Amino acid sequence: MQTQQTVPVIEQHDGPAIPRKSDKGLVSAWWLSLVVSVGTLLYLVLVEKGAYLRLVKFIPDGVLVTFQVTIYSIVLALFLGLLTGLGRVSRNRWINLIASTYVEIVRGIPLLVQLFYIYYALGRFVRVPDILAAVIAMAVCYGAYLGEIFRAGILAIDKGQTEAARSLGFNRAQTMRYVILPQAMRIILPPVGNEFIMLLKDTSLVSILAVADLLRRGREFASETFLYFETYTVVALVYLIITLLLSKLVSRLEERLSYYVKR
Amino acid sequence: MSSAEPIITISGVAKYFGKLKALSGVSMNVRPGEKVVIIGPSGSGKSTLLRTINRLETIDAGRIVIDGSDLDDPKVDINKVRMEVGMVFQSFNLFPHYTVLDNLTLAPMKLRGMNRDEAEATAFALLDKVGIKDKAKVFPAMLSGGQQQRVAIARALAMNPKIMLFDEPTSALDPEMIGEVLSVMLDLAKEGMTMVVVTHEMGFARQAADRIVFMDHGSIIDEGAPSEFFESAQHPRAQKFLEQIL
Repeated sequence: MQTQQTVPVIEQHDGPAIPRKSDKGLVSAWWLSLVVSVGTLLYLVLVEKGAYLRLVKFIPDGVLVTFQVTIYSIVLALFLGLLTGLGRVSRNRWINLIASTYVEIVRGIPLLVQLFYIYYALGRFVRVPDILAAVIAMAVCYGAYLGEIFRAGILAIDKGQTEAARSLGFNRAQTMRYVILPQAMRIILPPVGNEFIMLLKDTSLVSILAVADLLRRGREFASETFLYFETYTVVALVYLIITLLLSKLVSRLEERLSYYVKR
Repeated sequence: MSSAEPIITISGVAKYFGKLKALSGVSMNVRPGEKVVIIGPSGSGKSTLLRTINRLETIDAGRIVIDGSDLDDPKVDINKVRMEVGMVFQSFNLFPHYTVLDNLTLAPMKLRGMNRDEAEATAFALLDKVGIKDKAKVFPAMLSGGQQQRVAIARALAMNPKIMLFDEPTSALDPEMIGEVLSVMLDLAKEGMTMVVVTHEMGFARQAADRIVFMDHGSIIDEGAPSEFFESAQHPRAQKFLEQIL
């Protein structure tokens, strides 16, 4: 049989692991981490009580903000990433140049510096809510990373697919929309999922701006009570639990998008 | 039929891949309903020639006119031309994320403006014709190579093209699956479809072809009706090729 269905693999350089069914060790590790982190948190809150109980009452606002920043940033970054990825494979020299330059600039500047820059630079011209400035900064940064993943995903689809679509009479845009992108989505999901999780963790950086996210709320609590150990234990556990759940979500999504692949 | 105007006119076509000359001075006409089989050693430019007919390859010199449309005329919409020229590839190239049925209905619905019922009726009729109606709701990955290629032929036919191009349609198949694909192609030939076929299947060439075109080093070296060509090829290189392959 023709090996038409071989799935190109995009390298994953870093970020947390996605617990795929095929990777038994990772699935076990995922369950172990979840049970231990949730168990520890429950133990601290229900048995130790005291500072931990006060913490879990103090922190939820921050968790909500972290979620908000994450979700808005992901949506905006996906949009930017798709545009950038399409720009990077565009035959139009100017579009290609603009997209490539964006990627080059963003990838060369640390996220923290970008956050400061966009936050304060934006502030000089317009007054935007802190959280919006944070979202824009996160999205601009991750849009560039996602753009590269989109590009890789588009280029990974066999040339024969484009030829088949074009030979039927589809133009470039239709070929991209009906044939290439749906297939690219499936193979880029793992690296994109990784980016989502990294983005979630990186939202902790916005706590240095005036955004009251999980980490920021923790710091506020700690500076009032001097309970640094207790505070950061809880903050770390909450981040861990959220990322564990998110990585599971990504692996589920991956299975669903692979409906057409023979196993 | 022999008096009809050619539906494909190829004149003085040259094509380079970098410095490599893939085609030089190729001229060929195909009349409506005619079946032309292009044969030749690998690297002879036969696939390249076939792919210039729907402009999957651009040409560097010469002229190609399909059903009155000059492919290099900027006023000609190549996508419109391609809708009339079906193509079947060596590696099938079915869309793996669509079911067999959706592979057949996608282009007619998006490009011909057919509604779903109409497109599905056509699709089922074609799947019946190529003998895999029962696989309509299945994804291509679940099919054998021979079945995939038959779906690919049906997909091209779903656009109701005037011309069908076949680029080594059986070369990627296991031997036992070659027959089922060739028989679909033979049926199509009998129905009067205009066909240009690049293949190594000499049996098919003998049975279906009105004309055999022999290519070597990017040029047409010899051509003729199958009976003449196979019995008494004129050119020594064609003779040598036939000796090796028959």
